[in-house]
Amino acid sequence: MLSKVAERLYWSARYIERVENTARLAKVFSQLMFDLPKAVKLNWYTLVQITSNEVFFDTHYEAKTEKNCMSMLLSDRDNSTSLLSSLWWARENMRTTRDILPREAWVHINELYLMVKENKEDFESRSKRNALLDKIIKGCQSWTGMMTSTMSQNNTYRFIMLGTAIERADMTSRILDVGGFFVSQETVVDDEYPSDSILWANLLKSVSAYFMYRQNVQTEITGQHVVDFLMKDKEFARSVRFCINFVSSVVSKLPNSSELKEELDALVLHIDQDTVYEVGSTALHDYLDELQMALSTVHNKFYEIWFNPKQLAA
Amino acid sequence: MAHLLADYPTEGIYDESVQADGKPRLASEQLFDYMSKLESKDFKELQKNANTTIAQFGISFTVYSDKGNIDRLWPFDVFPRAIDVKEWSQTSKGLTQRLRALNHFIEDVYNEQKIFKAGIMPLDVITSSKDYRPECVGMKLKHGSWACICGTDLVRGADGVMYVLEDNLRVPSGVSYMLENRAVMKQVMPEVFHDMNIMPVDQYPTNLLSMLRSLSPNDDPIPEVVVLTPGVYNSAYYEHAYLAHEMGAELVEGSDLVVLGDDCVYMRNIDGLKKVDVIYRRIDDAFMDPEVFREDSTLGVPGLMRAWKSGNVAIANAPGCGVADDKVVYAYVPDMIRFYLNEEPLVPNVPTYLCSNPKDRAYVLEHLAELVVKPANESGGYGLLIGPHASEEELETFKGLIQENPRNYIAQPTLNLSTVPTVCDDELDPRHVDLRPFILQGAKTYVTAGGLTRVALRKGSLVVNSSQGGGSKDTWIVKTERSEGEQHAL
Repeated sequence: MLSKVAERLYWSARYIERVENTARLAKVFSQLMFDLPKAVKLNWYTLVQITSNEVFFDTHYEAKTEKNCMSMLLSDRDNSTSLLSSLWWARENMRTTRDILPREAWVHINELYLMVKENKEDFESRSKRNALLDKIIKGCQSWTGMMTSTMSQNNTYRFIMLGTAIERADMTSRILDVGGFFVSQETVVDDEYPSDSILWANLLKSVSAYFMYRQNVQTEITGQHVVDFLMKDKEFARSVRFCINFVSSVVSKLPNSSELKEELDALVLHIDQDTVYEVGSTALHDYLDELQMALSTVHNKFYEIWFNPKQLAA
Repeated sequence: MAHLLADYPTEGIYDESVQADGKPRLASEQLFDYMSKLESKDFKELQKNANTTIAQFGISFTVYSDKGNIDRLWPFDVFPRAIDVKEWSQTSKGLTQRLRALNHFIEDVYNEQKIFKAGIMPLDVITSSKDYRPECVGMKLKHGSWACICGTDLVRGADGVMYVLEDNLRVPSGVSYMLENRAVMKQVMPEVFHDMNIMPVDQYPTNLLSMLRSLSPNDDPIPEVVVLTPGVYNSAYYEHAYLAHEMGAELVEGSDLVVLGDDCVYMRNIDGLKKVDVIYRRIDDAFMDPEVFREDSTLGVPGLMRAWKSGNVAIANAPGCGVADDKVVYAYVPDMIRFYLNEEPLVPNVPTYLCSNPKDRAYVLEHLAELVVKPANESGGYGLLIGPHASEEELETFKGLIQENPRNYIAQPTLNLSTVPTVCDDELDPRHVDLRPFILQGAKTYVTAGGLTRVALRKGSLVVNSSQGGGSKDTWIVKTERSEGEQHAL
């Protein structure tokens, strides 16, 4: 397979996963709005921070309102990381790799893009926004399912899986960050209606992990347990640890991958460390930040090994 | 919609679907039976469904833009053009005959030059052609296939005769739209395909692949075939991706390929370099190899011509085959058929005046206002003069152009192209069409069943190019009991 094609496939999958997770992120924020006690001040700007979009937001928007934060995150085509931009990029990468993917893969994403583009005003109202976000999440999941059930498990498929897994690990860690941000800014403690468990339950739901958490952890929902579950669980498909194990197994089937072993082992060590983080602490945020950087190192290795055709020609 | 053809005008023109007496032609009878059961609103619904399907399939001929704002969807008319299978089989034979002769000619140009020595054609037609490539002199190709893929434009005049308007031998495009048109029609009118005997077109990619494989100069039982595209910014990129996909071939850009010291072509894969046997190139000669042609080309592959001339890689269409794309050469094709094949042409040319010929030129300058004048080397309908629609000033300009460079111009009578009923608001209205079938020549030859029908969507317009407001229709080669002669046998 061509290096360029491998890279585009990888990015197609990353963007689809990013679209899905951005939709999840926006949804969990909206859900929290309905559930949290009035005393908890919801800060929409957190969305901007979680997605590392501070610079863009500060130069393009004035007020840190719900409308502005949501539009920056979801529909702003000038923001290259917005949901709509990511979807456009997914479509663009797939348009240019159509020769190697099943036809349905392209048609599905093309339709999803057209649907979101036509309905993007719905992002502005809360009730319609959630319905549209649900449709988008389903659309991305059908694409992933379609790939899994219609493709040979060959290198084409492996690069798609790599893109999905790396992006998923990254986004799960960002979604966990949401919890931390909330807890750290909460000022009013209400013993009668502890907002903590509402917060963490919503976070779990946002990554479709609520049910699996209930089955596996079987205790009350606490920040520490949620962080542990989404970071370290070896069997849950969206946990960071699962994604990394998955990357390792896929990578081992690709050519020249021995160089990656070191990076991946380091990542696993990083995840496995037994430190107990106080939820909402800077230490937890830093830990997640370091994880995101380690993921980016792995990503750069992919470039060196497979995507950079100049090196291969030498 | 019983009144479907009530006010349909047929006077003074050849309509593909409707006879002069207002009755459907044989190949369209069943189609009209089906259509006449529809209400006017169903008709609109069909067209709407077709447009939606095109958007969903993402069928576009887009000019690339940063934010995808000018994605242009493929313009399509839902009323198909039908041709009887008997007529088509004659045309199809004529097209194969024509391409065989053209391939003989190209090989002759770069080798013995018999046709010039025999005095059939003046040699300077070739030496003055901008698509003549001296680099190709001495090359002999497997199966004699230079133009392996040809898109020949056919038009029907008011006399009902199908003429060849031009041959596109460089990088002919449009075949993916022929295939997509059919996919759209199957989606919106599945019942018709059940009831009518319409020849399939889907086997084109398979035939294209086997033709390309048959060109491989190497022993590998499964040769590596790639499609070479200028990239995502090219307006035909959609087609390049489509064909690569349907053939399961890699779609590559120049930067994905490299020619090494062994004069072989390799592609840059995730696990290193892999040898390439056959290149279906969709970039022009001039951009193919900066070592030989345009130095500033970043689309091509340095050394590609070296690899080709050493016989290590096959290129389709072969470099240099554009020499036969010249409109002056076109005028000689009937003579070529007689000279190389010793046969009479089965599909005629449109009568053509060569401005390089003094007698023809005098006639052309005299009758400019009745003629269409075309530059010899342009494609896509650019640089034309349509005499009857031209202003005094334009006529004068062209008089000057012709006298300055007679070699570069040909002239033809203005043809009143045939029409096909087309969905316009609430009714069917005639619109002018042409037809581009695709012909393959490798170890075997193959002609598409029908081709791409292009339609001038504006009333009265003769311009069918999609870049200039044209659209397209599905083209049906229809077999009926009567066309097979069974009913008459009873």
